[in-house]
Amino acid sequence: MYRLGVGLVWLYRVTLGALFPTTCKYEPSCSQYAIDALKQKGLVRGSALTGWRLLRCNPWSRGGFDPVR
Amino acid sequence: MILHLASLVVASPLTPIEHALRHVLNWIHTSIGLSWAWSIVALTVIVRIILVPLTVRQIHSMQNLQRYAPQMKEIQKKYKADKQKQNEELMKFYRENNINPAASCLPMLFQFPIFIALYYTLRGFARNPPSGDLSWLHFVPSIAAHTTSFWGGYLLLVVYVASQMASTLYMSATADRTQRILFMVMPLVFVFVIARFPAGLVLYWMTTNLWTVGQGLITKRLIPKTAAPVTAEKRSSRTPPKDDGSSGNGAKPEPTAPKPTPAATSGPPRRVRRKKRAGRR
Repeated sequence: MYRLGVGLVWLYRVTLGALFPTTCKYEPSCSQYAIDALKQKGLVRGSALTGWRLLRCNPWSRGGFDPVR
Repeated sequence: MILHLASLVVASPLTPIEHALRHVLNWIHTSIGLSWAWSIVALTVIVRIILVPLTVRQIHSMQNLQRYAPQMKEIQKKYKADKQKQNEELMKFYRENNINPAASCLPMLFQFPIFIALYYTLRGFARNPPSGDLSWLHFVPSIAAHTTSFWGGYLLLVVYVASQMASTLYMSATADRTQRILFMVMPLVFVFVIARFPAGLVLYWMTTNLWTVGQGLITKRLIPKTAAPVTAEKRSSRTPPKDDGSSGNGAKPEPTAPKPTPAATSGPPRRVRRKKRAGRR
């Protein structure tokens, strides 16, 4: 089931992600984090973690090394 | 093809946004009386004005980043073989020096729905053209038509590529040279995809890029060398008075001072912050 989410992340990567090149302040980047989270935690928890990560990836956060735990 | 598939996936949840966007465009067109093309430009400007607090901060931290370029190059050299390790070390370096690297994803996300909704709106325009003029500045006959279906579209594309490259200079604060080059080359590749987009979308893109460049130039001029204190400002209550004092008293007597001071001034708050973070986690 998580493959659906990973597929969507890849779809984002080859379309919008490619059209709007941006560097992420986190390591791994938000999209990689999403893939890792989906693989490790499944669709529901992985999506929730990804959502939270995206919210953290704002101009006021510090960025840095932040893998899925 | 892939883009079309992607557009199908995101179509339904974005319908309300598309309607809202259409309303805003309608309002600009009818109330202010701008042509459709200029309405798109106005819409872009409105969106960017809303995003100013987010992007200005980003540009500040980018300028801050440039000051540490030599040290970062050293790190890159040291971990040349291991890309992963290199990235981690760079991130650590950012953290230690209070640098807020690169762009963040959230402001970017705000632009996607608008962009996609505009795409659908313009496609709607192509199917049932609204009343009013769809042309722009005499060289774009219709903003709903494919960009390459008229000669002016090529001109649009050239300006788009140039503006995209220029805005990359301001927005992608990455220390990685290859990535930087990749970002610069990207618009050249994507120009073939974008050529099939409605001209109005390219207009939106162009405007938003030009805004980025203009904003970058202005912030660079307004805040030439105080980037480090600015980023430190929020972090501790101790730094602002120092910062105000130096910029208030010594605009002229301290033209050479800013370079060494950031390292000195950003020292103490740095430690305070790290402790706070560690505590929270």
